[in-house]
Amino acid sequence: MKTTRSALRPTFRKSAKAAGVLATATIVGLALASCAAPGSGGTTAGTTATAITAEVTAADVAKLGDITLKMWADQAEEPLMKSVIPAFEKEYPNVTIDMTYKSFDDLLATTVNAAASASPPDVFQGNIGYALDGALVKAKLVRSLDDVADVYGWNTGTGASTLAPAMWDETGTTFGAGTLYGMSPISEVQGIYYNADKLKELGITAPTTIADLEKDLVIAKAAGEQPIMLGNSDQYAGTHIYSDIAATTQDPKDIATWIGGKAGSTFVTDGNKQAADTMTAWAKAGYFGAGYDGLSNGDAIAKFAKGDGVFFVGGSWNGASLTDGNFGFGSLASGGVGATASPWHISSKSKNAVAGIAFLAMLHTPEVGQEILDGGRLPVITDGVTGASELQTQTLDGLKATIAAGTQVGYYDWTATDMLTVMGGALQEVMAGRITSDEYTEKVQAAWAATHEAK
Amino acid sequence: MTSLHRTADVVVAPAGRRPRRAWSRYNWTSLIYLAPALVFFVVFVLYPIWVSAQTSLYVYDGLTPSVWAGLDNYVTVFTDPTLRDALLHSLFLLIFYAFLPVCIGLLLAGAMSRIRIYGLTLFRALLFLPQILSSVVVAVAWRGLLEIDGPVNALLRFVGLGSFATSWLGNFDTALPSIGVVGTWVEYGLCMVLFLSGIATIDRSLYEAARLDGAGPVREFFAITLPALRPQISIALILTITFALRNFDLIWNTTRGGPGTSTTVPSLFVYQDAFQNRELGLASALAIVLTLVILVVVGIVQWLVREPKEVNR
Repeated sequence: MKTTRSALRPTFRKSAKAAGVLATATIVGLALASCAAPGSGGTTAGTTATAITAEVTAADVAKLGDITLKMWADQAEEPLMKSVIPAFEKEYPNVTIDMTYKSFDDLLATTVNAAASASPPDVFQGNIGYALDGALVKAKLVRSLDDVADVYGWNTGTGASTLAPAMWDETGTTFGAGTLYGMSPISEVQGIYYNADKLKELGITAPTTIADLEKDLVIAKAAGEQPIMLGNSDQYAGTHIYSDIAATTQDPKDIATWIGGKAGSTFVTDGNKQAADTMTAWAKAGYFGAGYDGLSNGDAIAKFAKGDGVFFVGGSWNGASLTDGNFGFGSLASGGVGATASPWHISSKSKNAVAGIAFLAMLHTPEVGQEILDGGRLPVITDGVTGASELQTQTLDGLKATIAAGTQVGYYDWTATDMLTVMGGALQEVMAGRITSDEYTEKVQAAWAATHEAK
Repeated sequence: MTSLHRTADVVVAPAGRRPRRAWSRYNWTSLIYLAPALVFFVVFVLYPIWVSAQTSLYVYDGLTPSVWAGLDNYVTVFTDPTLRDALLHSLFLLIFYAFLPVCIGLLLAGAMSRIRIYGLTLFRALLFLPQILSSVVVAVAWRGLLEIDGPVNALLRFVGLGSFATSWLGNFDTALPSIGVVGTWVEYGLCMVLFLSGIATIDRSLYEAARLDGAGPVREFFAITLPALRPQISIALILTITFALRNFDLIWNTTRGGPGTSTTVPSLFVYQDAFQNRELGLASALAIVLTLVILVVVGIVQWLVREPKEVNR
């Protein structure tokens, strides 16, 4: 009797338990399915903006009464804003600016949610590409600036081409052309920094083409120097070098088109394969030194600033780290790759859009342009702006050259949210000779297709 | 989900045996004392898990209305080869994050309890230090140590092993084990402290008896210390395995999953999908799967180190 019971009970309990699990699973499953879908509350799209037909005057802004303009910006803007905000408040005395600064990572992570909230900032910075600007446009959270560009003449003059990355199609799926949704007063240019003292020792002049650079690399290597200082553990520094080369092995316009997500464009081109092969050859020849994948970009620039390495391939954003010492900058004659920094947007829900427009207009003036350059960065308006140091002037010249050459193609990672990871990782593999340049371009194209062809 | 089920199990079992009477007798006032912690637990643990489970069944960018996806996200999780590789990397890291720290912890604790060391408290504190440091600090420090010109390689060159010098975190073959070593360094202190406290509770007379029977230090360790530490080993394994499988910060701050994809782990993709790619559904599905994997692995290990049933002698 005893044995029968003890033999029976576990089975019974087990099946009861199994039934319990099944029931629980069913209930949970049903509950999950029947509950309100995440985001179904939805975000209400803003009201259609009233287009402006003439430049906003102080009188127009005064009509708004005493207002507070809420803003969000990258903390890198703080030095610039310290002079712009008081100037703005002086010109428009009824406006008080309430500025919140965020680190770049914070800005990326929180801006979309803030813009979608019930009380969004009136004016805020986004970032070019699908992760941030694309989401803002798709959810109709930012005001179109076409009317502003027309009225203020942004579409003409030196800064005109820099607007393209902030232009989107109706659905927020491709950018580079279409409706303007943002404006950045700041530009960036990629190029090659060199240690001027070492060039002198080696008896070479600053390279102006990739072919020149390649010759210099041989000389530097033979002299026992590390030719190019590279820190690629964050996976992105290598892509800057790659894009500088790739801009010379194909028509730069094709790169911009591909980044913009135009249907039918492809990364699997001879130019891209050739650029990848060059990277592999340089890595194999030891031009990047050993262990570049284990060094962070920040550590690499610090080493270069201390005198390690002859060249550093980066961009104008690195200039601030290279103020001590004799460093020079050259974008390649083919035009170093350049791009526009984080654009400013006006919330589509803002009741004070007119004041926001006045603020953006002020950012887009030669006076502010000069302040941007004085602060060590590059303005989109280059006319009537002069550099204070040799390195600044060289960087500004580099920017002008890229704008003239039409190589302001932008960054590869704009094209898909995971492109930085995919391309950065694949480039590490191709440089180490673990995959071929064919496989590299196909991997990159597959990530592009996942974003642009599925939708 | 699993934690929900577990809770239900615990409450239902006694009620089943003594229906109704137990409920009416139940001391409801005790709930008042539990309430604050319970509310906290529900709001900050159960509810987020619930929302994750729900989100995992949708395609959702966190912004525009979500679209029902059924189990599509889970299908992606199990079929995407990059995610499968990431899971394998995590399982490999278990050796370094859980197995080695427990072994080293046992060795140190065994030695410390036996030998009278002058300034024991100081050594214990120093050895525990890695556990207290912020993981970002640990990552940055080790990145410097393991660099091509870093101290580790300098040491190798000094002792004539220069041919082994490499960029440990930048080399496709050494990156994953190197991150593993960092994990070992972080975790062994915790294990050691757990085991030391366990050893303190062992009756000293057992050792005396063993010694009288002629047992040496090794025999003593395996016959008395190790079996007595079973509960501590079990806890150490739970903590280290959980740390290993959800490890993100060390990898993000050393290699970002590189070079190539040689050090990717699931939690890296959870972060990227949720915060960079705005694919909250896929990120949630991956997170849920990761949680279940952790529960299963911890469950298996717990079963392996369980107290043996009383044996009739």
